[in-house]
Amino acid sequence: EDAAQESNVSAELIQARKRAINEWNAWRARVKSETPAKKKTAKKLEEEKEEAVELIDELIDETVEILD
Amino acid sequence: MRPILLQGHERSLTQIKYNADGDLIFSCSKDHRINVWYSHNGERLGTYDGHNGTIWTVDVDSESRFLISGSADNMMKLWEVKTGKCLYTWEFPTAIKRVAFSEDDNYIACITEQRMGYQGAIRIFQINRKGDGKDQSKEPNFMFHPIESKATVLAFSATSDQLVTGHESGKLTLYNTKTGEEVVSNKRAHREVVTDIQMSPDRSYFITSSKDKSAKLYDTKTLDELKSYTTETPLNSAAIAPGRPYILLGGGQEAMNVTTTSARQGKFETRFWHKIFEEEVGRVKGHFGPINTIAVHPAGTSYASGGEDGFIRVHHFDESYFRARPYGDMEPEEE
Repeated sequence: EDAAQESNVSAELIQARKRAINEWNAWRARVKSETPAKKKTAKKLEEEKEEAVELIDELIDETVEILD
Repeated sequence: MRPILLQGHERSLTQIKYNADGDLIFSCSKDHRINVWYSHNGERLGTYDGHNGTIWTVDVDSESRFLISGSADNMMKLWEVKTGKCLYTWEFPTAIKRVAFSEDDNYIACITEQRMGYQGAIRIFQINRKGDGKDQSKEPNFMFHPIESKATVLAFSATSDQLVTGHESGKLTLYNTKTGEEVVSNKRAHREVVTDIQMSPDRSYFITSSKDKSAKLYDTKTLDELKSYTTETPLNSAAIAPGRPYILLGGGQEAMNVTTTSARQGKFETRFWHKIFEEEVGRVKGHFGPINTIAVHPAGTSYASGGEDGFIRVHHFDESYFRARPYGDMEPEEE
């Protein structure tokens, strides 16, 4: 009987936790949908540009190797 | 999870901050010093010398270019992170208790202490990021005085036009920074003084700690309570761990209220709570006095606690911390 009661309690607790997770996920989803896409700072944009340039350089290098 | 002890402060820590990359830790103390450390090995990289009083607060911008500090010497200073040079000093009639950068790095907000003849004030300065950083405006862009109860902590919301303050009475207020108007307030957020406020990564929610022995999670837009964590000790600091659903709490009774044996054994603990289930999941012992400040690495890979004992303890989480699923597959969808 004790064991049965215990498992009942834990089943309740598990249900409560599931509810908490679902509520949290729903709230996070709502916050995300309400938040406009983040504006990137000028510095970050610049860095991304630089990264892109480096990537092109690498690709060119590789092409040369293949031709050789 | 063996801690690294950062030794270099001679008196109690007041605030700790990681930079955005997480490779540096900035700390300030009652010993009038600001230190910067490498987070991975605890080596001291340098100091920022110039204040002449307890340094209550420090914050670093997202580029790790500028550092701002506030002190009991009534001065707020802007520092160049790389060189340790003081770029600009603002002087006020009273001590600066809290400073914070806005998310876009363009503004700083500060709280000055209420003292005989002077009201507590919140000032917002626009930071001139062009050139060498020495050309700053002496006058704030906006200034206002909180009513009813003095502000103790603050943090900008996701945009620089709003900030949240925590108050001595336990109240939270969301202010419009351009008008000084209260957007919304929650008078019964805590029953005693709010001791810390730290934003979630996207600043849509934040955590507060209070001397009322509880920490709570609030929605930044509405100041509605989302979660509550009740402990048996006054809390000085609370932090949100990115990546795992945990929050970290620190505090403790002052030494005089504790038996000397427990103080000697380094029993002051950082408490880990499950952010969503509001249940305690673990404790990490170590400090010899109350924990005054806690910060978590922006990637969630380590945390640092600063104590009344003058020590900073940095803990790098081991693999089991990330792997452990104490509640099985019941995990939130993101972070």
